[in-house]
Amino acid sequence: MTKIWKETGFVENDPWVIETDEVKATAEQKPLLSLDELIAKADVSNDVGLGVLIKPADDVRRLEPYLYRLEIVAVAFPAFNDGRAFSHASLLRQRLGYTNELRAVGDVLIDQVPLMLRVGIDSFSVSNATALKRLAENRLPAIPHHYQPAVRDAEAGKGYSWRRQAKPAA
Amino acid sequence: MYRYDEFDHAFVSERVEQFRDQVQRRLSGELAEDAFKPLRLMNGVYLQLHAYMLRIAIPYGTLSARQLRMLARIARTYDRGYGHFTTRQNLQFNWPKLSDIPDALADLASVEMHALQTSGNCIRNVTADHFAGAAADEIADPRPYAEILRQWSSVHPEFSFLPRKFKIAVTGADRDRAAIQVHDIGLHLKKNDKGEIGFAVYVGGGQGRTPMIAKLIRDFLPEEDLLSYTTAIVRVYNLHGRRDNKYKARIKILVHETGAEELARQVEVEFAALKDSELKLPEKDVEAIASYFALPDLAERAEGWENLARWKKADPDFARWVQQNVQPHKNPDYGMVTISLKPIGGIPGDATDAQMDAIADLAEEYAFDEIRVSHEQNLILPHVALADLEAVYRGLVAINLAEANAGLITDIIACPGLDYCALANARSIPLAQEISRRFGNAERQAEIGELKIKISGCINACGHHHVGHIGLLGVEKKGAELYQITLGGSGDEHTSIGEIIGRGFEPDRVTDAIETIVDTYLGLRLDPSEIFLATYRRVGPQPFKAALYGATAEAA
Repeated sequence: MTKIWKETGFVENDPWVIETDEVKATAEQKPLLSLDELIAKADVSNDVGLGVLIKPADDVRRLEPYLYRLEIVAVAFPAFNDGRAFSHASLLRQRLGYTNELRAVGDVLIDQVPLMLRVGIDSFSVSNATALKRLAENRLPAIPHHYQPAVRDAEAGKGYSWRRQAKPAA
Repeated sequence: MYRYDEFDHAFVSERVEQFRDQVQRRLSGELAEDAFKPLRLMNGVYLQLHAYMLRIAIPYGTLSARQLRMLARIARTYDRGYGHFTTRQNLQFNWPKLSDIPDALADLASVEMHALQTSGNCIRNVTADHFAGAAADEIADPRPYAEILRQWSSVHPEFSFLPRKFKIAVTGADRDRAAIQVHDIGLHLKKNDKGEIGFAVYVGGGQGRTPMIAKLIRDFLPEEDLLSYTTAIVRVYNLHGRRDNKYKARIKILVHETGAEELARQVEVEFAALKDSELKLPEKDVEAIASYFALPDLAERAEGWENLARWKKADPDFARWVQQNVQPHKNPDYGMVTISLKPIGGIPGDATDAQMDAIADLAEEYAFDEIRVSHEQNLILPHVALADLEAVYRGLVAINLAEANAGLITDIIACPGLDYCALANARSIPLAQEISRRFGNAERQAEIGELKIKISGCINACGHHHVGHIGLLGVEKKGAELYQITLGGSGDEHTSIGEIIGRGFEPDRVTDAIETIVDTYLGLRLDPSEIFLATYRRVGPQPFKAALYGATAEAA
């Protein structure tokens, strides 16, 4: 079963749904639109609070004019070894300045979660049993020393400009 | 050489413990092999034909005596008493147990080493000229830049799941000894008119089933932009590199399909946005890293010149070794010594624990504690006083590593081939051994002169056959091994991909074919100073085809 996890814990009653032929959003739920659907909808309405699903081959920069109307961007990891969404997330946060929820969907595994956090992903749709278990126990396999700046804010590491150190848990 | 500070020590030991946890989950069955695979690969752990293999990074090929001794100890403790130095400045152990590997990694961490990113679809161990910091023809030492790239690329959150592996090489001399034009990114250090350091940036070179020579996309990249520009390239590759076909996933295919100009344009767009980011390198940080690579304090040892002349006269074997394996150093009282890991009939690149220990001793006593690994699978002592050459030579004779064949026909590069490798179609090692024995005579080797034979046991080209003057590629045809011969390849500043000369040869006919090629060359060269590659480039393939297949033979 799929659960939504954030650093504050598992989220109940998440409204976002990826629609398929079989699955449609109910009255209380909201669909994650494809990039083209989002642009079409946004261009003919003043709707805000929208959600979009960025697929690996999408050009995330097309979202730029619509960012203020988005409540959530989901980036897809169709397989754990397809790392394009890491770059999508970096671009959304650093280049486009997107600040609302950024969710990883798809093959989200525990060993990738620390890297996803570092590129600015702050919400995770998780179905892998080990990942669910470890997240429930708050056991992330993260290491606090980083050799490069990334999206996630971190203290300057000692020594060289490119180093970063994760902030200790508050 | 670079010394870890507290930050590096903390990082590497955290990484070992992270991997220990992953190994435990794998051993307990919690982690399936397919999910474990990318995790173990990023820590240098392969699953080979007979066993796991541990590939240890030797960043830009630089080692201290203490580190080499630890490699010897790991060979003794967790393996079968030897290791294999590879064409990517790594060391491979072929027989470790998975459950021992976290301990081996912890041992490595204790001497400031690791196996990070020696495998997997990430930015691999950054390689550099093995004579860096010592070569007489050097513009600047490439290792500080390779070290900065090593740090920046380690567990990079955006670039740990690329379409395929990604290899960066840096050279600091016009004479390219790092084969930068057959790497995903090749960096050539240069100075501009104002005397500032920068890089010519090549992208999209590589070997494997689709060998390609890299394209120059930037003539002069300022030093401070190294990380932002590299990030721009790797980001474009991550987003647009092909993922539909593993064999078309390298950046060389993207460069080929997109066109170098268009790719350069995309990179420049990314770079413009990153140029003034946190990735800009402050001069003081570059200087601080560079200070680790300062030339050792080389005392004047002018007596070496006279001694050397006397020793050479007294011992022709020593004279031949100096002639072939010692190259000019920045400081005329010193030389750069190549320790050939190609004894006649030996396995290219292999060294036993005892040999590694003995070389560590020599490095400590005579070579300022520095050892290098070359992409030609040899070891180098980069700073040896001429006055100490005789003692170093005696030390190498004692461990059977004083073969005077650097750059000669028996200095063969060979991948592990079907003896170890899960990918191979054919054996490489026995072939290298047979060729080595056939041409083992010292006078004959000297007569033939510079000639690089490179052998790969499969199309992935770990043995760099595409850039061998003579390249051998093992293929499998109807269940039997067959070797394709390519001629005219070169991995230097005039990189070329060898041409297939004709139909392949059965294993027992390859060495004869090499002999035919060599004899043809000897008959064609203008004079002994014209090396094989130059002759081939002058006369083309036809005379060699005729000699191998008969005058009217068609290439198959």
